[in-house]
Amino acid sequence: MSRSRSTRLSLAAFAIALTMPAFAQDTIKIGVITDHVGGSKFYAEPVTRGIEYGARKINESGGVLGRKLELIIEDDQNKPDVSAAKARKLVDDGVVIFLSTTGSPSTQQAQTVSLETKTPQLAPANGADQMTTALDNPYFFQTGPLASVQLATLMAYTRKKGFKEVAIVRDNTALSQGFADSFRGGLEKAGIKVALEEVIPQGSTSAVANLQKVRGAKVDAIFQAGISGPEMLQFFRAYAQLGMKEPIYGSYNLSIPAYLTMAKDLMEGVIFADAFDPDRPDVKTFLTDFAKENSGGPAGSLEAYGWDGIHLVAEALRRAGAPDREKLRAALQGIDKFDTIVGAKGTFWSFAGGKRAGFHPQGAVIRVVENNQHGRVLQAGQ
Amino acid sequence: MEDFLELLVSATASGCVYGLLALAYLVIIRPTSIINFAVGEWAASGAFVGVAVLSTLVWPALEWPWWSALLIVAAFGALVGYGTELLCVRPLVARGAPELSAILVLLGVLVIFREGNTLLFGASPLPSPAPFGFRRMLIGPFPGVSQQFLIIGATFGVFLSAWLFFERTVWGRAFEAVALNRKAAALMGIDLRMVGALAFAAGGAIAAVAGLLVSPLTSAHFLMGLPLATQGFTALVIGGIGRVEGALLGGLILAFVEQFGARWLPVPSGMTLAFPFVLLIGFLLFRPTGLLRAPETRV
Repeated sequence: MSRSRSTRLSLAAFAIALTMPAFAQDTIKIGVITDHVGGSKFYAEPVTRGIEYGARKINESGGVLGRKLELIIEDDQNKPDVSAAKARKLVDDGVVIFLSTTGSPSTQQAQTVSLETKTPQLAPANGADQMTTALDNPYFFQTGPLASVQLATLMAYTRKKGFKEVAIVRDNTALSQGFADSFRGGLEKAGIKVALEEVIPQGSTSAVANLQKVRGAKVDAIFQAGISGPEMLQFFRAYAQLGMKEPIYGSYNLSIPAYLTMAKDLMEGVIFADAFDPDRPDVKTFLTDFAKENSGGPAGSLEAYGWDGIHLVAEALRRAGAPDREKLRAALQGIDKFDTIVGAKGTFWSFAGGKRAGFHPQGAVIRVVENNQHGRVLQAGQ
Repeated sequence: MEDFLELLVSATASGCVYGLLALAYLVIIRPTSIINFAVGEWAASGAFVGVAVLSTLVWPALEWPWWSALLIVAAFGALVGYGTELLCVRPLVARGAPELSAILVLLGVLVIFREGNTLLFGASPLPSPAPFGFRRMLIGPFPGVSQQFLIIGATFGVFLSAWLFFERTVWGRAFEAVALNRKAAALMGIDLRMVGALAFAAGGAIAAVAGLLVSPLTSAHFLMGLPLATQGFTALVIGGIGRVEGALLGGLILAFVEQFGARWLPVPSGMTLAFPFVLLIGFLLFRPTGLLRAPETRV
């Protein structure tokens, strides 16, 4: 090889090397905190699938501001301290925003980082009301169905049934107790007496005693506020074993598909709050496309939260005009009508009026479990 | 009356599971004096292995009959127990470390198994198939579901085998001799290492089978080990470590107090969580040897 040819090749290699960082800078980095091993894995992973699918489709159609979206995904194991550490790592990696998909306590802890580093944070699926009220963090936004909205919708549906006395069954987790308290408050406000509240402790091997007490109380309905899967399975097993017929109403926790697998054939007829209407034409299209283009099973409401979340980020980036954290925060806050896959027909996400919880007050729906599937919508809105 | 009989079957099934865990503790404690809190995680591992063998949830190629799963899970548990003794306990015993060292090491084993289960099988609860389904059935006047009756039958089978082993075999007598006096047993020619290894293998097998039996009721999940370890230990304290039948008695008493208390005692149902601990503290304070004492004069 001649000396001049070797020099030319070296220069060419150098030029290629110079262009590589330029290519890397062409992406807009977006952080995602998920959970692959902890207690929130069964909902965090589907939401993350939706985010990944959404980012892929956005990139296929040219990206945002002429640049591709680059997801940096971290696992917080649903541990609050780890979540904050991962959020800090994402900020150090240069993300313009990060999406939290794991449990509410973890997402709440990561807020300390978004507030301190002035980095926008979006929780696309979390529904706990206190996430935007406990901490005055202008960089945090949530779009999950608020527990208060879900409950109000369930109560609106329940009022039509004319129940006089009901039972609440829960486990001994803090979140379950929170749901039970919300149920109790809403029921009593509606003039419905809570005849008894039964607790199935974690680690139980039978819920027969609890359900016998419920059966003995001869209530009109049972409100299932359980969160812990194994204890909910025992609830449904004991309910079937004792031949009970009281209608069961549940929180949106029951919209998580994993429960249908775990308590197969046991949840038929259970009525639950959700924020997903599979009969909407645009939702049907989303589900069909998702199934065609992704392995690992069909999509449900959780994937839709992720899809909507990443599209909301893309829209905010377009409005911001540049991948700048402060501009992005302002753009998110300025969004007053963002059409979504999740939510009842005709509803949308909005942060108008300085709100940071974007879920629509009429966005929740009431659905029923049919043939081991999350079935039709019985009522939309309150 | 219907409530009482339903609860009788339910509490007996739960008590049998606790009894099996207590037996897993007991067969290890008797010859080694080591309390192995990892038995709860071994039970969880047994449940996961059972789900893997019985269903397509973990490995799509498998969907074997339940009885083959029972054998595989028992063999898996025995291997886990033997391996733990060989790698974690024997080196400590050889160096003359106190029993507390082994107990602490086994707490480490507990964590390794729990995290290992999470990594291998995930954090979502997995449904575990029941060989006879969950049909409501009557045996005599007793109403229950088929899995509860299976648990009761299998447990009595395990306890009968254990009782025959300890009472009717030379190896069983060797276990008893080591339990009474290790040095004297060694001087009599009993292989202490072999007894220790067998004890851990038997404890592992019993714990894993208990996990397989209870998992159709609770699902297989990574948090199931610790409650089972606590319930089994409480049952052991109630029944006493001296006799095989004490483990079963302790398990049944614990489950009856839990479930009949939850049903009829005038306390909020959340308080039933405290029942096992009240029993545990009570027995440790007032009858630390448990209800049944060891037959020390037999050997």
